[in-house]
Amino acid sequence: MMKSSGQLRKTVYASLFAAFISAGAYLAIPIGPVPITLQTLFVLLTGLLLGSRWGAASVAIYLLAGIAGLPVFSAGTGGIGQIIGPKGGYLIGFLVAAYLTGLINEKTSGLSGRVISDVAAMLCGTAAIYLFGVIWLKIITGMEWGKTLSLGMYLFLPGDALKIAAAVFIAGALRPIIEVRKEK
Amino acid sequence: MAELTPFSYRPGKSFFHRSDVRCKLICFSLVSLSSLNAQAAGLGLLTFFLFIAMIHIRLSFRAVLWEMRYFLILLAFVFAARALSTPGEAIADLMIATVTKEGCNEGTLVCWRLLTVTCFALSFVSTTRTTEIKAGVYWFLKPLPFIPAKRVATMLGLTIRFIPMILNQIRETADAQRARGIENRKNPVYRMVKFIIPLMRRTFEDADKLILAMEARCWSENRTDPELSFGKSDWSAVLAAAGFFILMITM
Repeated sequence: MMKSSGQLRKTVYASLFAAFISAGAYLAIPIGPVPITLQTLFVLLTGLLLGSRWGAASVAIYLLAGIAGLPVFSAGTGGIGQIIGPKGGYLIGFLVAAYLTGLINEKTSGLSGRVISDVAAMLCGTAAIYLFGVIWLKIITGMEWGKTLSLGMYLFLPGDALKIAAAVFIAGALRPIIEVRKEK
Repeated sequence: MAELTPFSYRPGKSFFHRSDVRCKLICFSLVSLSSLNAQAAGLGLLTFFLFIAMIHIRLSFRAVLWEMRYFLILLAFVFAARALSTPGEAIADLMIATVTKEGCNEGTLVCWRLLTVTCFALSFVSTTRTTEIKAGVYWFLKPLPFIPAKRVATMLGLTIRFIPMILNQIRETADAQRARGIENRKNPVYRMVKFIIPLMRRTFEDADKLILAMEARCWSENRTDPELSFGKSDWSAVLAAAGFFILMITM
């Protein structure tokens, strides 16, 4: 049973972020040769704004919706086959990234400036996504390391840098709104 | 979900529409797992079954291909990587690498596996209602300790409800910004920031209205889910899928 309206609010916000992550796969900003989708941006924001526990819960709901067969993964697909497919490592990486981003942000926000703590947390989160994503891509496709890295990581790094820069501003603007609402 | 993809639920009376969601989820997972280890014979059998199934539920092949266009490009990459990097008997000598027979066989198998699983997912989605999926997930999570199954099912339902709302909001925000000449701004960070802050702020306002409405209606987690019934045909379908799975992992 829900204990209070605060609990309900967190539940709804976590679901909302899961929906943002799903919609993020369809939101592309055309820059350079590869259009960058905003999915990972929302994963990082989930960790920053909801914190480690609720952030991870939010991504877990997203993954569960996908595993249950709803077309929330990229290219309108879903199902357990996507988790064990070539892009599955990135999906698992999202879960770790949201938790890690939230955790590092919670631990370091008192120690240094807000911006430094946000950037450090998001760098670790992005690293987690690639760690899981690239290793799994290599296992599934059997490509060489060089090819796997360039196809599965180097291509996206400039986009990631832009996303982290944007996320600092976005988190700064949205944090007061969400925190006030949570306390209400 | 109709706006995300043409593969939303379509009403029908086929065998797949009538079978229980739990049966479909089990079969779907078993087939996905068994295709990991399947060889050409098993995959051929699976593809034949899938072909009959897609005709039976009246899935348009043209729509399937259109939906998977990006996925097919990825598969082409995977095939090329396999064909070029596997050592073996050379069948074509390109400038930088040789295409081997073994590589082509390997590449075809890997792509075939991924393709069948994706087609299964599309067939599943177009024959299952979202509320049924929610109820099915709840049923599977219920016996697990430490997982608040009702909460999870609720969040799943909310997420599904929020996606079209967010997509609408995205369209409105993008139109408003285009009308104000956002295309003249080339800085991608500026564009992302100015796009996402209003998008998220408005969506949070809508979510707050939803919370208020839920509280006003004394919302609780104890709700009535659609009734699930696991019939004889469901049992035989699960048994067939399990048989196929055992066959594939032992072969």
